[in-house]
Amino acid sequence: MTEEIGRFISIDGVNGAALAEAARDAFSGAGRGPGGISSWDASGVFSEMVCGGDEAGRPSARTLLLLYASDLMFRLRWEIEPALAEGKTVVAAPYVETAAAFGRAAGLSGGWLANLFRFARPAGERHIVDAVPPRSGAKPTGFAEFACDQLSGHVLGLTREQLMARTVRQLALAAARANRRS
Amino acid sequence: MTHQPPRVLLRVNRQRVRDRFADPARPPGLLVAFEGPDGSGKTTQRKLFKTWLKSEDYDVVTTKWNSSDLIKPLIKSRKAIHVLSAEEFSLLHAADFRHRVEQEILPALWEGKVVIADRFLFTGLARDAVRGLDLEWLLRLYQPLLWPDLVFYFSVTAETSAERVTAARLPSFYEAGQDVTSVDDPVTSFRRFIGRVISEYESLALIFNFITVDAEQSITAQHHRLRELFRERERQRSLKWNIGAFAEWLSLDGGSRP
Repeated sequence: MTEEIGRFISIDGVNGAALAEAARDAFSGAGRGPGGISSWDASGVFSEMVCGGDEAGRPSARTLLLLYASDLMFRLRWEIEPALAEGKTVVAAPYVETAAAFGRAAGLSGGWLANLFRFARPAGERHIVDAVPPRSGAKPTGFAEFACDQLSGHVLGLTREQLMARTVRQLALAAARANRRS
Repeated sequence: MTHQPPRVLLRVNRQRVRDRFADPARPPGLLVAFEGPDGSGKTTQRKLFKTWLKSEDYDVVTTKWNSSDLIKPLIKSRKAIHVLSAEEFSLLHAADFRHRVEQEILPALWEGKVVIADRFLFTGLARDAVRGLDLEWLLRLYQPLLWPDLVFYFSVTAETSAERVTAARLPSFYEAGQDVTSVDDPVTSFRRFIGRVISEYESLALIFNFITVDAEQSITAQHHRLRELFRERERQRSLKWNIGAFAEWLSLDGGSRP
């Protein structure tokens, strides 16, 4: 990892549109730059996967999270680390918490999730956007919405709305834990 | 639809797995992994072994490393332009493996079939460890672990491997480990890389109790040895180690699988 001399802000949440807006606000208010906003699917793995069609079989929560981790590694290598090394401001939205909350909502263990994202450097500032998740049928723009759409009915028998509600709850718990620590 | 909490569902499904595998009328499947460096001849042996098993009336399916319809295209396009870091390489292969475990391997084993895996997770462990990644991190990526009933390790020297692989073609960039060695010549790089992969395999063979097959022997001699080993070991199942993997798989759709 390169030495951090820039400013690294992570913003997590389940509502993709709200997350993008919060990222823009955080970046414009950061007062340092130029840098950028790092969003999910920068490596294109998810958009390419969707293009593959349904015949390839539906991915599980673990498969989606392994892909998310691969994409996050790509973002760190090509977007986040180089900008920080040059003293710029980087806003990562979403970062680790959104994916970890989704994983816990899908019944995966905290230990497995912590190991999976062990490579991700901690952000200097962490925020969680608690916007209400959009209803089913809206075009998904965030990772949590995409993942809940993909897995509807295919994880623990949960519907998309049930899985989303569990993810929101897990994210709130993560925020509470972070508040207690700070 | 009401749903059970994950822990409850997993507990229920663990019991389902135990009951299913204790049922003498429905013998469980068998998972046989073929491992070894490139050029060790394991694919030839895998094909012969499958033909033999079918002639013995086993219901057999094969799964190959990096072959899922979902993930393989993602890996292929990224390998072609040499953009993968060691971690991305590892995570994408782990995703491919997970998808095949859930879509091909566990369903076949649940139905009582023999699954022959042409490379298993040990391939990922050996190659990724050579790429400098931590073995504990790697192993946990593959959880819940699914242990084969038999792992045949086809042992050859680095020289034999390099000789066989480079006799007809140039190894590809990642196959030659050029991302690790930074050597421009793929053949030189392959010789260096495969030696390190074999060292990792030999450590794994001890840790995970592989059955080592001397892959410098004739094809026929190896095949007959596989038959003997299979007959000796086919009733020594790894089922008790795999209850967690089956239980999680059954939980994916809320436990509705028959």
